[in-house]
Amino acid sequence: MMDLKKLASELPNRYVEEARERGTKIIGYACLATPREVFDAGGFFPYRIRGMSVTRTELADAWLSRFNCGFCRSCLQLALEGAYDFFDGLVETNGCDHLRGMFENWQYAHPRDFFHYIRVPHLTNQDSMDWFVEELELLKEALEKHFEVSITEEDLLAAMSLQGDIADKLRRVYESRWGDEVRVSGGEILALMTLEGSAPAEDFSRLLDEVLAEYPSRPPLKYRARLMLGGSATDEIELVSELESVGGAVVADSFCFGGRIFRGEEPLDGPPLRRLAHRYLYNLMCPRMFDDYARRKAFIDDLIERSRPDGVVLFHNKFCDLHGVENVKLRMDLEKQGVPVLTLEKEYGAAADIGRLKTRVQAFLERLGK
Amino acid sequence: MAVLFGGIDVGSLTAQAVVLDNGDIAGSASIGVKPNPLDSARTVLMAVLEQTGLEPGDLHFTVSTGYGREQVQKEGLSQANISEITAHGKGAQWLLPSVRTVIDIGGQDAKVIRVNEKGDLEDFVMNDKCAAGTGRFLEVMARTLGVGLEELGPLSFQARNPLELSTRCSIYCETEVLHYLQRGADKADIAASVNRTMAERVMALVRRVGAQKEITMTGGVAKNVAVRKELERLLGIRLVEYRVDSQIVGALGAALVAREMGGGR
Amino acid sequence: MSGHAVRPGEGLFDRISNLVRVILRVKDDLSDEEVEGLLRALPADTRRNIEALLNPRFRRESILFMKMIGRWVVEGEEAARDPRRRTILVPFNFPPEVIYVFRRGFPLTCEVLTTLGVSMLEGQGERYWDYAMGLGVPDFLCSSSTIELGSILSGCDFKPQALVQSAPGACDANSKIHELVSHLMEVPQFILEKPTEGGARGKELHRRYFRRFISQLEGFIGEELDEGHMREVLEAANAATDLYYDFYELHKASPCPVPNIFSLFTYGTRFTSWGRPDAVEMMRAMVERSRRRLEAGDYPAEREVARCVWLYIGYYFDFLGFFNWMEERGITYLNDVLSLCQPMRYDTSSKQSMLDGLAEAVFEYPMTRQMGADSMSALWVEDMSRFIRDMGANCAVYSGHHACKQTQSVIGQVRGEINRLTGVPVLCLSGDSWIRRMTPTSVLQEELTSFVDHVVSKKGKRGRRSEQEKTRQRQGG
Repeated sequence: MMDLKKLASELPNRYVEEARERGTKIIGYACLATPREVFDAGGFFPYRIRGMSVTRTELADAWLSRFNCGFCRSCLQLALEGAYDFFDGLVETNGCDHLRGMFENWQYAHPRDFFHYIRVPHLTNQDSMDWFVEELELLKEALEKHFEVSITEEDLLAAMSLQGDIADKLRRVYESRWGDEVRVSGGEILALMTLEGSAPAEDFSRLLDEVLAEYPSRPPLKYRARLMLGGSATDEIELVSELESVGGAVVADSFCFGGRIFRGEEPLDGPPLRRLAHRYLYNLMCPRMFDDYARRKAFIDDLIERSRPDGVVLFHNKFCDLHGVENVKLRMDLEKQGVPVLTLEKEYGAAADIGRLKTRVQAFLERLGK
Repeated sequence: MAVLFGGIDVGSLTAQAVVLDNGDIAGSASIGVKPNPLDSARTVLMAVLEQTGLEPGDLHFTVSTGYGREQVQKEGLSQANISEITAHGKGAQWLLPSVRTVIDIGGQDAKVIRVNEKGDLEDFVMNDKCAAGTGRFLEVMARTLGVGLEELGPLSFQARNPLELSTRCSIYCETEVLHYLQRGADKADIAASVNRTMAERVMALVRRVGAQKEITMTGGVAKNVAVRKELERLLGIRLVEYRVDSQIVGALGAALVAREMGGGR
Repeated sequence: MSGHAVRPGEGLFDRISNLVRVILRVKDDLSDEEVEGLLRALPADTRRNIEALLNPRFRRESILFMKMIGRWVVEGEEAARDPRRRTILVPFNFPPEVIYVFRRGFPLTCEVLTTLGVSMLEGQGERYWDYAMGLGVPDFLCSSSTIELGSILSGCDFKPQALVQSAPGACDANSKIHELVSHLMEVPQFILEKPTEGGARGKELHRRYFRRFISQLEGFIGEELDEGHMREVLEAANAATDLYYDFYELHKASPCPVPNIFSLFTYGTRFTSWGRPDAVEMMRAMVERSRRRLEAGDYPAEREVARCVWLYIGYYFDFLGFFNWMEERGITYLNDVLSLCQPMRYDTSSKQSMLDGLAEAVFEYPMTRQMGADSMSALWVEDMSRFIRDMGANCAVYSGHHACKQTQSVIGQVRGEINRLTGVPVLCLSGDSWIRRMTPTSVLQEELTSFVDHVVSKKGKRGRRSEQEKTRQRQGG
């Protein structure tokens, strides 16, 4: 199989080079609340912003403070260094306070010609649903106007169909770990999940075909215990691989570069943008949503039931308010259910931090009697 | 001939090795670390072998723990490695069978470990990087006060009016301590507040694990009598004590696990 | 064995309630001797902050303020016990009059309890903070909400009947902790979202959200809003608002006749009692005291050296070492983003106009207005620059409260923009606003002194004498 981890560590990657040669416009976005089908339908290449485990953040630190999340500081650092200068536009969402700050500073200090803000509601009810539909219409109009393209209903339906196929394939790889034999590591899955956001849909679909053809012939991985991971946004592939090296096979996760990518079905009828709005708003398994803990907890319970981990490791990035609080509640509830939980605070991307985290994960496996 | 097992613990400041025969500790050694964890492991292992008159081949099974545990195993000095958390829990409970909670405070980190009647890990928590709950904090404070680290504990007992250190951040604590010194405050009064601050910080970890009796303390800071006393006051019970140097507990735990893995009792 | 961080009856609300019941028995006009006696009876932390408040320069107003807060706390507690009433915990970014318009509803503002309230307690909020840390709550969340969470987690505190969340997404740390608190206490939460868009479209959606929110509250409280009672409450709010603007004008004189601590009283009043006669009395007392000082030319220092607008908030753990200390060195605290709350008058002509006014008040409430907007920096810069110019400030200070991730994330821009637009230097401090263990007062004082001595003083004075004369003329003095 191609080296997924290597492919995921390139910025820009080969898909970006190819897109630029074709003249495809590339739009940067950060948050899972951004419906990529709208971009796909317009012939854009939506590229999900990553921090790439960068830890030198001296340019970003002139804007974001040291009390802001390391992931956002790393993303901003890359932007200010020019690593994302291949973006033809930038789309903000109000994911969390840190992310808002990241976008606000990016656009202030290193502006892109096209900048659009999708205001995502924090509640799921009819009023917010109507608002979000309007927001997607505004996004579509903004793209059409600025880039002089037209995005038709047919284009949207075709993009939605392709994303449906991709989700099916991705799910097959992701869920392949749910039997006793695990052939794809958590590090590789995380790499694949980051590639979902850094490859055009057709290319990613082809990549998945290759993965699906290759992995069944691999020997199963040796492991001491099955783990599920959860918590703050992370694309730290190396970290997950290192943690697996002490003997834990990651069989599921609730990361936003991960298990949260899978969304439930949207309603079958209605205009495409309304269907998309429903799909994204009602399946946003992120603690930035309010009055929605029960749904997030059910999502995690379902993952636990189907992937059968021996324990759950919940991370939060230092200064991540949303997951810092959510993990307290999740730990209490999961432990009440008899699920062993380890909660870890980490400094985003810090290689020096890996040893400290490995010790804790190893002790957790030992605590599990593995 | 008795079957012998080894435990090697390479930490950030010191390294220890313990040899265990089936029933008891046959020997132990402790050294200051060398730049390379492998050198530390080799040296401390040789020291304990020399002390017990053994050859490396006499050890049936050896387990490494601590900061250099993986490297030590890769080089063949041990056959398996375990985390220092398991090692400390195991070692402490073996030394004192009634122990269920171990408070281990070393130079770099602090951990609270809960074990069952077999010494197996039930739960644990470690501080997250902040120096305020570790031996490093006491080191910095002792230096600021101009006293030796080992004097910090006994000095507390001479305090007449322990002061209030308003902050728990080690950087600001240093500023505050300097501020007190400039105002002519008594060193003993400051030392008492430093030790109390340390104990309060560790208590947050103790609460998180839900400590169970008996409780003991290991690691370098266990030697600070004032921190021990403050912890006893906050916990409302007496900490139980060992008959051996508390610094070898990790290596002992590793040797005990080596005995389990290597087919001993 | 857990160290007994919090025992039954030692929850923060219970302890604040016990303290205010004592304060309510104190005379309105204490002599120096009586103050001395009272202070001697108090534990150290309580003594230090009460001593700051009982300074003869503003003793009467402080007693009035403490009693106002005292009546508010006691009534909140009694309402929670009364089966016909509902005590609702509301956040600082929510106008209390939205609950006062219900005859049977009573708002208790969490942050007033967990900042101002605990600052008066021995050991302040530390034991609740410790308790929360012990249960694995991260140390980077807002100390104010963490203290509240710690007290709730201890299971040893008073329990309200419901909780309000205002503007989720305008402060993640605060909103998420309150959501957790509602889960842990098993009380319902009512959420009012604010769309980040500040234009007509956003406001229209917000009005819809607000109507839904009010009807949920009507169902919960078991009372349909009564137009007559609404009018009574909102006219009281209007009276306080009118006095607020008189008070605002008084700040423009130099030296400033308004004691620094009054900024604390302003939002203490705005956040707890707007819509009650108490707020009118408190605002009037502050106006009168400041006017008398203006007329007499009273100022506690030889000269006014610095006129600071605080871009965010100040520090509440040491009133003596902060508000009074600055004032005595000629450093005027010309309000902050919370005390510059810019309340608006309600149109009380109909029920609808009052409801729309309340929705607008929520939308434009301090912090929600700035941080809950499309851009976190734009309105913040605009508002603070306006205040700086309006009040003739010669410097601005950012307290650097660690947990406020929104202000932290844009302060780099804001500092530069404010400096560019107004020409005043901006000092960025780094300290937790509500818990003393992060940055000691002495460190903050040193940095402030150095800024005032080396940066502000060198920038020169901005024609203050004429400002003072102009203000006197405006006040008819």
